[in-house]
Amino acid sequence: MSDYDRLRQRMGRAVGQLFSQLPELARVWGQLFDAIEGAPVPLARLAKPLHQCRLAFITTGGVHLRSQPPFDMNDSRGDPSYRAIPADTPAEALTITHDYYDHSDAERDLNILFPLELGRELAARGAIGGLGTCYSFMGHIEPPHVTTLLQQTAPAVAVQLRQEQIDAVLLTPA
Amino acid sequence: MGLIARVIEAAGIPTVCVIGLREIAERVRPPRAVHLKWPFGHPLGEPGNRAQQLCVLYIALQALYTVQESGTILDPGWRWRREEYEEPDTWVMG
Repeated sequence: MSDYDRLRQRMGRAVGQLFSQLPELARVWGQLFDAIEGAPVPLARLAKPLHQCRLAFITTGGVHLRSQPPFDMNDSRGDPSYRAIPADTPAEALTITHDYYDHSDAERDLNILFPLELGRELAARGAIGGLGTCYSFMGHIEPPHVTTLLQQTAPAVAVQLRQEQIDAVLLTPA
Repeated sequence: MGLIARVIEAAGIPTVCVIGLREIAERVRPPRAVHLKWPFGHPLGEPGNRAQQLCVLYIALQALYTVQESGTILDPGWRWRREEYEEPDTWVMG
């Protein structure tokens, strides 16, 4: 890794930690998405009652199975790949690779970030129709990886969600 | 996250995002969002606070039915740990 990349990596971590305190930084980061401004925002309708809906959860908190490769924290522009996580995965089989936020609380209780356990409970008591395969990305994706996310990895997940007949998706950030 | 939601929604599957930074959501405009200005890494609340976590799940799932206009950001105004959270009695929706 070059000195420039190291500097960008350190800056990325610092920005992540400061976002909640300095909204201006968040606004600057948001400007990266000028390209999609003005594009129509889709809205699909949920036609079934909740107790018949199969849900999936997606987090951008960098969660993955211990047996899966970790997200790439050496690329300061982020890692646009994803990990598929079976709905019945116990919390002990999961870990978090994400240097840009403090995930020590999420490691104690994953329900605060990626509520697989609560989702399974809601399915078991019939509140939802079921919990399908869930997915994890990492946030802080910058160009050119935004293009990969928009054109490859997010559409690949959408295809899998449709194949699994998922009715609705809840997304949670880091 | 909002970008992923938009791609999935465009494929015909309704989505709802829990967000902590309204400024970014206003730019990225996910189809439906629930804004909670809580500490990073805690979108559903504090570890061990089951009632708080279920309240967030409930309001997010409810948004799947109540939001009529794309880009809507709901703001329940919950003040992190300075609220009394109670587990939802019923999950009947839709």
